[in-house]
Amino acid sequence: MAELNETIHQPVRLQIMATLVTLEEGNEVDFTYLRKLLGVTDGNLGAHLHKLEEAGYITIHKTFVERKPRTFVAATPLGRTVFHEHVAALEAILKRK
Amino acid sequence: MNISPNEAEESLEAIRKITQKTRRSISGSGAYIFLIITGIIWLVGFVATQFLTGKILVAIWVGMSVLGSVIAVLLGTQNSKRVRSSSTSVYVKRILIFWISLIFFCLAAIAIAQPVNGKQITMFIILFTMLGQFAMEMVLSFSSSWWAVPIAALALVGYLFFPNIFYLWMGVLVGGCMIALGLSIRFRW
Repeated sequence: MAELNETIHQPVRLQIMATLVTLEEGNEVDFTYLRKLLGVTDGNLGAHLHKLEEAGYITIHKTFVERKPRTFVAATPLGRTVFHEHVAALEAILKRK
Repeated sequence: MNISPNEAEESLEAIRKITQKTRRSISGSGAYIFLIITGIIWLVGFVATQFLTGKILVAIWVGMSVLGSVIAVLLGTQNSKRVRSSSTSVYVKRILIFWISLIFFCLAAIAIAQPVNGKQITMFIILFTMLGQFAMEMVLSFSSSWWAVPIAALALVGYLFFPNIFYLWMGVLVGGCMIALGLSIRFRW
């Protein structure tokens, strides 16, 4: 039976994971775009991304595009699996209601 | 970790909302806009072909195609800044070679078959273009690969069963379908 994941359950991290999992596998999203999409601050997003990266659920890729520093974020296969398990656990709780 | 059913419901609702927002945001300059642009070009171009001839017709097709290409490139560049695909960057040269090869094969097929009228040439170009589109989407984005097949089928129906109004069919029905499909992806996906 799927279990709830404490790292992912935090509201901002849940939204980050939902966004990244919505992208196709292998696609990565720009940090600025993600910040605007979620309506959070740079610092707040950075802190949550760091936690998710530590857990191995996302990868953060820093690079230069047209000489400007850019950060791209993507869900790892583990992150995708854990997120889907978390959603399944939430649905199971609702079914028991 | 234990949570109440209400909290679970709220979490699932939050996931649903952000998923929808992400899809809409990405599609905001994604596949839908290319469908709409192509649909408008086909609508104007083919309806003009049904009723007009000569230089004005060439000017309409060239003008629409150039305008559409510029808009598509601008929007494509904008989208690539938000989301980038590792597979796209890896395969970008192969994609270019694929399309150049497909154009060559299309021209070769036209040269061999020696079509006798513009309708046949149009169908050759549409079938090869839709085949290329289908192949590309299968490789890059399987979830959106389906639309090239019904568009090609609709064009074939027009060619085989309604030859007298083929260009009108292509413009209004096929072009219109592409516009409707693009709008549907934008607002319902």
